[in-house]
Amino acid sequence: MTSHTLSFFSWKKKRDKYLEIVKVQSKNTTTYVVNLFSRSLVILLRIWVFTQLYTVTYRVAGATRIDDFTLPMLIWTLMITQSFQNSTRPYVARIIEEEVKTGSLAYTLNRPYSYLLFHYAGFLGRILPSLLTNILVGIGVCLILVGPITFTLSGLAGGTVLLILGYLIEFSLMLSIGLLSFWVEDVSAFVWIYTKGQLVLGGVLLPLTLFPDYLRKITEMLPFAAVFYTPAKLMVSFQPETFWYYLTIQLFWVLLSILTAVFLYRKGIKHVSINGG
Amino acid sequence: MNILSAMEYRVTFFLQVIGMFINDIALILIWVIFFAQFPMINGWTLQDSILLMSMVTFIFGIVHVFSGGSRELAKTITQGELDYYLTYPKNVLWHVSISRTDISALGDMLFGLVLFCFSGNISLEKIFLFLTISLFVAFILFNFLTITQSLSFFFGNFEDAAEALYQSMMGFSLYPQTSFYGFLKVIMMTVLPAFFIVTIPVNIIKTFDLLSFLLLLGFALVTFLLAVLVFYKGLQKYESGNLINLKM
Repeated sequence: MTSHTLSFFSWKKKRDKYLEIVKVQSKNTTTYVVNLFSRSLVILLRIWVFTQLYTVTYRVAGATRIDDFTLPMLIWTLMITQSFQNSTRPYVARIIEEEVKTGSLAYTLNRPYSYLLFHYAGFLGRILPSLLTNILVGIGVCLILVGPITFTLSGLAGGTVLLILGYLIEFSLMLSIGLLSFWVEDVSAFVWIYTKGQLVLGGVLLPLTLFPDYLRKITEMLPFAAVFYTPAKLMVSFQPETFWYYLTIQLFWVLLSILTAVFLYRKGIKHVSINGG
Repeated sequence: MNILSAMEYRVTFFLQVIGMFINDIALILIWVIFFAQFPMINGWTLQDSILLMSMVTFIFGIVHVFSGGSRELAKTITQGELDYYLTYPKNVLWHVSISRTDISALGDMLFGLVLFCFSGNISLEKIFLFLTISLFVAFILFNFLTITQSLSFFFGNFEDAAEALYQSMMGFSLYPQTSFYGFLKVIMMTVLPAFFIVTIPVNIIKTFDLLSFLLLLGFALVTFLLAVLVFYKGLQKYESGNLINLKM
């Protein structure tokens, strides 16, 4: 056997290892169907609330379009953003925090796989079933409440590319927050600040379309909007120049967040002390 | 005792309290941005949202400081940790509820009180009304948590579903209350009683109305009776998990 063949099989074995983790976490997420659909219930109620709130808002503004978005387009954007964001629970940061507090970190660190890739595989396994149910329920609710809108193939394709990168940013940032537990043990405060950043500046609660122009331009450059809002917005309203602009911002945050996570892991692993017993 | 125990870890304690304070500032910031663009929504203004947020954060703080265990009841039931409380000659529901204190909720209580000072409703009478109404509303929130979390006795693993119901109900409390209508309002008055947790209390503080106050008291009493019924009916179905549970 050549060295190329050996390294291919070695890579395949490693890939299969992480694929198994994805499958296990996926199965875990779908075992309790009530829990799975309860997250979608949150989406349903939020979209209903948004529809009523923003119907009144558009009426008060006396407008049929705000920043070129009609009410149905706005609601669909919010639904997609909420579906993306809601599928990321439980947060990676909380899982790592729990590992540190319970001491199960001792087992996960000693296993024959990369700690960071292990959590990434788990993250992917958890989001896939939740995302599917959220989107299906969300589509149903939007069709009933505001009716359909027109999607384009380029919008869906471009939005999907941005979504994949968005999830990578979300994972890396949450991982970085979780790794802080190697120092402070309880990372709740950092999780709240980050999730509230998404809520306020990430278009999860209040679409950036409704922000004043100067504030919208600033928030679109921050990681909070890059994670879920810009993919959702592009899916609903695709423009090639906007796609490249958002992609550039995302690539910057992908690089910075991954480097931060790797740096924190390498520093943090030296801080970990495990008490046997 | 829970608070003193948490204060042993000073850094974590202050991080949680300050973090929650910042968290709550972010929530009001959304509405500052929104109302800067749209000053009034069906008669609802930024001042009303400030009053609403002050009440919500304050009552959230009360429930999570004094009965933090109620939000984790489903987890306690599912993981068989209820056995520990059954061995004590104390009321089980009360004991489970006070077993845990969410330290960060102190930040919520502090924020709620500070924010109330900016709601344009400051007078001794209004402060007294705010504190009194908050206690009753916190009681309603506790009852809601007990009912939804106790469903775990009947449905098995109901943790995520109970949390989703809670998040949905609290979600209603973030928005201008005058924008809701139709069947959504019916849901807010029944299954997810945000109407009694935010709408009525805010209206009472703005303009005191004895009928609304009595309605609030009545709802608190009815939900308490329902909470006790659901919990103790569920407890009859509880099966021990033989988990060895050590509380230190």
